[in-house]
Amino acid sequence: MLMEAIDFSKHKRVRLMVMQGQARVSGDPRLELTTVLGSCIACCLYDASNNIGGMNHFLLASPSNDDGLDEHYGVYLMEVLINEMLAYGADRRMLRAHLYGGANMSSGMSWIGTANAEFAHSFLKAEGIPLVSQSVGGPSARRVDFRPYHGQARCRIVDNSQAPKDLPTPKLREDHGDIELF
Amino acid sequence: MTFAQEKTRILTVDDSPSMRALLKHALTAEGFHVDQADDGVSALDWLKENECDVVITDINMPRMDGFGLIEHLRKGAIHENRPILVLTTEASEEKKAQARRAGATGWIVKPFDAVKLAAAVRRVTH
Repeated sequence: MLMEAIDFSKHKRVRLMVMQGQARVSGDPRLELTTVLGSCIACCLYDASNNIGGMNHFLLASPSNDDGLDEHYGVYLMEVLINEMLAYGADRRMLRAHLYGGANMSSGMSWIGTANAEFAHSFLKAEGIPLVSQSVGGPSARRVDFRPYHGQARCRIVDNSQAPKDLPTPKLREDHGDIELF
Repeated sequence: MTFAQEKTRILTVDDSPSMRALLKHALTAEGFHVDQADDGVSALDWLKENECDVVITDINMPRMDGFGLIEHLRKGAIHENRPILVLTTEASEEKKAQARRAGATGWIVKPFDAVKLAAAVRRVTH
C-alpha cells in the first residue's frame, strides 16, 4: 500500500494503523506506523541508508483453518513488503528487521502464535535479512509503533482485550492465480 | 515397452529463496523438473549451458529484472518461441502491458495456486 495519496505537508506527525493482511511503506519522517498484535506477526523492515521502512501484519493460520499453516500467504505478504520497499528506493542488501507478536493468548490456539513466529524467523534467515530486535511469544498482546524513516520501533505489552480479533488466513479468490495469456 | 515420458523442464527465476522453495515444492509435486535461478543474469548464464521448456520469472529482481530477462531471451533465435510466464506480486496494468511488449507469453499474479500454475505450464507447452 503506497503512501503517495497522503498530504503530509499539513501534519507534524501522521499515525497510520496497519491492519491484518496489510503492508505499508514510507520514507517520510513524519509518519508513524502502528498496530496491535495478538497471535499475528508484524515485521518491520528498514533500510537506514536510504531512510525507507515498512511494516506488515499477518496471520498464517487460525483455529478455523484445519489445513495448518499457509506459508504461501506469509511468503506472499513478506514479498509484497520487500517489493514496495525496493520500489521506494530501498537497497535489499541493507534491509534490517524488527519482529513482534506471535503471542499464545488462549490455551485452545496455543500453537498459532509460536508457529507464526517460527515462520517469520525462518523467512528472515532464508532471505538473509538480519533481525535486530524482537519481542515474540508469551501470553500477552502487544502494541507496536514504528517510524519507517528512522527505523525505530517501540513495543509495549497491552491488555489482551485490545488485540483485534484474529481473522482467518484469506483463502485465495477463485480467479487468483489465473493465467492471462498474451 | 515404452520410454518413460520426459518431464517438462521449468526454469524458475526469483530472487527470494523462500519463493523459490515454494515454487520448487509445488511444481515438483505436479510432476515437473524444476531448475532455478535467482535473477535475470543467473538465468541467462544457466541457459547458455542448459535447456528448458518454459521459463517462469518474477519481475522485481536485482542485477536484471524480469523485463530485461524477457527482452534478452526474445532477441535470440533459440528462445524466440519459448514460453515465458511472468509470476509476480505486481498487479498494475502498466506492468502487465510492459511484460506483453517485452514478449512474455502470460501473466500470473501471486499468490499462486499450484494447480492453476501447473495447468498454465501444460497449456503453454502442449
